[in-house]
Amino acid sequence: MKIFLPAVALWGKKAPSHSITTIMITDDQHTIVTGSQEGQLCLWNLTSELKISAKELLFGHTASITCLAKAREFEKQPYVVSAAENGEMCVWNVTSGQCIESTTLPYRHTAICYYHCAFRMTGDGWLLCCGEYQDIIIIDAKTLEVLHTFTSSQSPDWISCMCIVHSMRIQEDSLLVVSVTGDLKVWNLSSSINSIQERKDIYEKESKSLDLPNCRTIRFCTYTERLLLVVFSKCWQVYDYCDFSLLLTEVSKNREFFAGGEVLAAHRIIIWTEDGHSYIYQLLNSGLSKSLYPVDGRVLKETMYPHLLCSTSVKENKSYPFVMGYLNERKEPFYKVLFSGEMSGRITLWHIPDVPVSKFDGSPKEIPITTTYTLQDNFEKYHTISPSIIDGFCAFEDGAGSPAVTSSMFIPDFDKLICGCEDGRIFITLALNAAKAGLLEDNALFRKDSLPYKVLSGHNKSVTSLLYPHSHSSKLDQSWMVSGDQESCVIWWDIFTEEVLHKFFLRAGAVTSLLMSPEIFTLKDHHIVCCVCNDHSVILLHLEEKTCLLKAQKHLSPVTTIKWHPVENFLIVGCADDSVYIWEIETGTLERHETGERARVILNCCEDSQFLKPEPLIAFASETHKHKNAVYRTSSSSQLGTLFYSIPHAESSSKLPVTASFSSLFNVLPVKTKSSNVDFHVLFFDLENLVELLLSTQLNSFSSSNSLHGSDILKRARSTFEKRPLTLKRSKTSNSSISGEGQMKNACENQNQGDIPGKSFEENEGIKRHKKMKSSKKAQFIPPRRVDINLMMDTAKLLLSCLLPWGIDKELDNLCIQHLNILRLQYPVSLGLVSNEDHFSLMLPGWNFCNPGMKEGCSVVNLFSRKVLDLSNKYIAALPSQPEVTGELESDSSQGLDTIVYLLSKLFLVNKLVNMPLELAYSTSSHYKKESVTNKGKNTGTNNSSFYGNLRNGKTEFHFPDADLSLMKLVSGWRHQSVQVIEVIQAVLLAEVQNMKTLRKTSINSPPLSMVDNRNGEMETLGKIEQSEQLELQCIKNIPLQNEETKIETGEATSPLSDKITRGFLNQDSNSATVSVVKHDSHSNSANFQEAEDMPDRCVLEESESPGKQKRHPWMAKLCLCKVC
Amino acid sequence: MATVMAATAAERAVLEEEFQWLLHDEVHAVLRQLQDILKEASYRFTLPGTGTEGPARQENFILGSSTTDQVKGVLTLQGDALSQADVNLKMPRNNQLLHFAFREDKQWKLQQIQDARNHVSQAIYLLANRDESYQFKTGAEVLKLMDAVMLQLTRARNRLTTPATLTLPEIASSGLTRMFAPALPADLLVNFYINLNKLCLTVYQLHPLQPSSTKNFRPSGGAVLHSPGAMFEWGAQRLEVSHVHKVECVIPWLNDALVFFTVSLQLCQQLKDKISVFSSYWSYRPF
Repeated sequence: MKIFLPAVALWGKKAPSHSITTIMITDDQHTIVTGSQEGQLCLWNLTSELKISAKELLFGHTASITCLAKAREFEKQPYVVSAAENGEMCVWNVTSGQCIESTTLPYRHTAICYYHCAFRMTGDGWLLCCGEYQDIIIIDAKTLEVLHTFTSSQSPDWISCMCIVHSMRIQEDSLLVVSVTGDLKVWNLSSSINSIQERKDIYEKESKSLDLPNCRTIRFCTYTERLLLVVFSKCWQVYDYCDFSLLLTEVSKNREFFAGGEVLAAHRIIIWTEDGHSYIYQLLNSGLSKSLYPVDGRVLKETMYPHLLCSTSVKENKSYPFVMGYLNERKEPFYKVLFSGEMSGRITLWHIPDVPVSKFDGSPKEIPITTTYTLQDNFEKYHTISPSIIDGFCAFEDGAGSPAVTSSMFIPDFDKLICGCEDGRIFITLALNAAKAGLLEDNALFRKDSLPYKVLSGHNKSVTSLLYPHSHSSKLDQSWMVSGDQESCVIWWDIFTEEVLHKFFLRAGAVTSLLMSPEIFTLKDHHIVCCVCNDHSVILLHLEEKTCLLKAQKHLSPVTTIKWHPVENFLIVGCADDSVYIWEIETGTLERHETGERARVILNCCEDSQFLKPEPLIAFASETHKHKNAVYRTSSSSQLGTLFYSIPHAESSSKLPVTASFSSLFNVLPVKTKSSNVDFHVLFFDLENLVELLLSTQLNSFSSSNSLHGSDILKRARSTFEKRPLTLKRSKTSNSSISGEGQMKNACENQNQGDIPGKSFEENEGIKRHKKMKSSKKAQFIPPRRVDINLMMDTAKLLLSCLLPWGIDKELDNLCIQHLNILRLQYPVSLGLVSNEDHFSLMLPGWNFCNPGMKEGCSVVNLFSRKVLDLSNKYIAALPSQPEVTGELESDSSQGLDTIVYLLSKLFLVNKLVNMPLELAYSTSSHYKKESVTNKGKNTGTNNSSFYGNLRNGKTEFHFPDADLSLMKLVSGWRHQSVQVIEVIQAVLLAEVQNMKTLRKTSINSPPLSMVDNRNGEMETLGKIEQSEQLELQCIKNIPLQNEETKIETGEATSPLSDKITRGFLNQDSNSATVSVVKHDSHSNSANFQEAEDMPDRCVLEESESPGKQKRHPWMAKLCLCKVC
Repeated sequence: MATVMAATAAERAVLEEEFQWLLHDEVHAVLRQLQDILKEASYRFTLPGTGTEGPARQENFILGSSTTDQVKGVLTLQGDALSQADVNLKMPRNNQLLHFAFREDKQWKLQQIQDARNHVSQAIYLLANRDESYQFKTGAEVLKLMDAVMLQLTRARNRLTTPATLTLPEIASSGLTRMFAPALPADLLVNFYINLNKLCLTVYQLHPLQPSSTKNFRPSGGAVLHSPGAMFEWGAQRLEVSHVHKVECVIPWLNDALVFFTVSLQLCQQLKDKISVFSSYWSYRPF
């Protein structure tokens, strides 16, 4: 399942490092897959002309990748399995970049072979794995569970290489392996399928010692069905498969190490070395012909000798180990390709001729390199303008290009991005603006030099780590920031006044990370900053007292874990060599030093460990996912017995710890793959949060505009916000006067207090701060409403610009720019997608050239695939059947904000719909069965939550007449046609915008004037009043009808889809609470208060009187309900 | 900033020279030293294919314990395999003497030793690829090599220092129970493992839990050494450990191997540290 968590990458000039450890080409020769030491997989597009371009980067592994293999019959499912050093295994769909299945087993694999025997096996086949364990493990290719093992009766040992032999002659598939000590072993495969299913012991059929260590490859010649090629690091040998007699040995010359080999054709082989050379040999029979009868009773012995035909080489060899492979395809359009991947990240391809021949004089011919490519090439080719996050203001300053960012951090509370650079400067900028400047087309608003930013200078060497204490403990001052540099200097800053509060000189190594002591751990009620240096020392600093508490410098190897013992004031330091040091903080003495088993016990006993090597991206992705999962779990548990209404409370408790880290509309995460520099940043949008917040603001603006002075206030508020970049400085004292107003509902209302425009920003921050403190004390889940509307709109607009395909239709572009007030993209964005919990795929610059049918230089920007156009046409075809829709859309399109909200909520809905498990969307069978399915669906993480469902009950979706049922049906139908989520999202967005356009053409009463004046508050509010009135009228009309609908649908399921919708009710027939919800939904106004009482959530309370409340639609209610259950 | 700029060209040149020396001479010196140590370690494991031909030598060890004399035995270790084991167990209740030994045709592989040996040979292989003829061009290259070697060495050491934590059903189902002649009585479980430089044998005496027993049954998890009172379910029966006997013997060459691992790990780390000293001077390029 793939969840669309909108994320956009902001690349730097340099490509992320990708040290290739393993490489493969898929069977269709369209994709190269590489695994890297950094733990990422990279998908490369391979054209029919053997041109390479990078397509996608897959995040998911946390350790170096050890091997790749196909995981299904490739024609049916383009799946590839990857295994990592730490035992993680993942099955990926390499066309969509989606993670299908993942697991972590206590085995380190070094090679995997896919085996499937269609007529004897059920299921999707096996992965035969070998590695740093005895013998062979059989893993189910679908579930990744260990099925069984092949065991050897004689000298069991690690297996270093293997191959599967399909022999037509003996009608039996066998597995040939060579162990690390050089024992060749054979297991029967096809005839042991039954015994594997019965879990009987399976021993090898044959075993023979080859007496050579370090075997690298074993290959069976399928052409002759006789020869066996075995490559050792120092020599290669050819055996006769029939009796395992040695036919040929060739020892390596000039200290080369062989790495592998393959059989090209009958009696023709290719051997490659670790430094990237390869040799093609013809195997010739020597004089001893078969006619020669065995002498002295020995069997006929035939010998061969190799003749070197061709060779390949690389220029810069000997610097890094190479991993090579060979793809032999006999089908016509395909090539015979020799490929290699280097530690430096370079891929090289050689096209091997069908019949390699030597030169006329018999000397070997050199086969030229066909293609060579790196990630960096991709960046240089397609990534013309560098959108590195600080380039916007750095480049113009010294002209010499911006310094590399060595550390960065995002503070969601203030939308601030802090970047430490290699020249020692620290830049503070507004994250959203920086992102916009990088991504969007130049505009007067975002001229590079108009970007507000601040520079903190104090460091002399590159800033290696940053820490924002407030995010770890809300008791700490919000203005504090701590940074550490290469020279072991730590500076304590006030980020608002740009002051250096104190400089600590540690006299140790470069500061690799800064940590904050956990909240439960306080030494005399003070919080401590912990600095980890690269000379393996750990130093504790006390900020307020400006003192160094402890210098722990005894560690022999790098520090990996820091733990705090709250009771006895111990600092527990775990090192890379698995030893543990326990320091007493107050006295600074080394209390204990332990290794081995005891060290492990000590480390396990403390819960609150701080690991020093987090994988930010993965951690983040999984965190957001967990956050969602938590919701499902609680809602399912509470659904079982208790009242429906209790769910929001249950959620609040479970959500709290997570929301703390994910409270903002978006988040910027620096990604370091390996090097000391930050490779790139990823901007995550929280679509759910964004839609919800926008809707609540929208409602609020209705209510305020209904009041007498509403428009006035709004206007003022706007002008205030326009001043925002100028009033960055905030006074710490200003919050005291407004503390009484701490319960302000949201930013819009906060504005009411800001009588003096110049001051209001500061006050706003004061309120926000106050509120933050309060809400954290209350320990109750409330999505922080302190995000101001301008930021919200900007985020929404940026998200839309990133998703829209530009340049398809000039008119459409102009419409978007003028009407929606969003800006064109400079170049296609790299979107990220989350799949299967914590797996993340990120498109690379130049992805748009990987799609077939996309031409370079085409004016279309950011179109995900051709399919999007077809899809959106289909969508449009289904769209205008309802006159009601057009009417509403018209009123909508008269203002940008509502349209944006409408579009976003539509996207949100579509995203949910697409992510719903298939069974959930299409089940027509018995209700009991469905119930179990839905329960499962919840655990796997559908993107639904009752909480948001409730919210949207109240105020979303103006447009859900019956036509939408068909639209939704259409959209959910696409899932069967291997349409990707982003394609659906973009198609729907495109269709909606196009629809808007056509409506605008036909409508008479929507002059473009209002669009131009979009930023003007007055116009907008007027429009809003109009609209709210319209909506009111409409709702009154709709109510009786809605009631009918509800009855019908609860009573009897008629169509599959309505069945799906009503499933929520049917499942809970016994649950009286649900029934009350239904009632409550259909009686619109009177029930509002009831709901408000039942749900003491602020937003609902405040909505109860707003006209927007009446926009609830029973259909939506049902959809939401079914999401809950 | 000014002081840094004062790190003049001359100083940079000296540093550059020193770095080149480090890459060209010092690294190879360390690598050679590492290789020697690891070769020495691998001889301890009597690696096949490293010169010593023929079957690995046999060593006899007498199992003992300072606390108990219930269990006595003699083990014969051949490389990474136990080829013979003679164990005498004095039953605590009736003082009856129980004797059991390995079947003639069977050997018991000590997985921990085998894994450690294989990790060492992989480390040696990594180092052998980079002999004196190889020119290191960047520090990053050295760091990568050191990381790979250290990974193997750490694993080798960890295999010896941290025995696998097994659950009682896992011990019961392991092939070890089938190794003995006469067959082990049903109420006995044995387990061999390596802990640091010691080869340990644990004998668990079991008694079945009565279904009517008032004790609430809680299966014990995985552990290196289970304590009396640990319960588990095996087949249809619920069993409880009544007595645990642990005897061990010191294998001297394992101690040597562990020392070699630690020393070579420290060498690697020191080389890494030396390289990274220069990283601060050339932070602008991949050192």
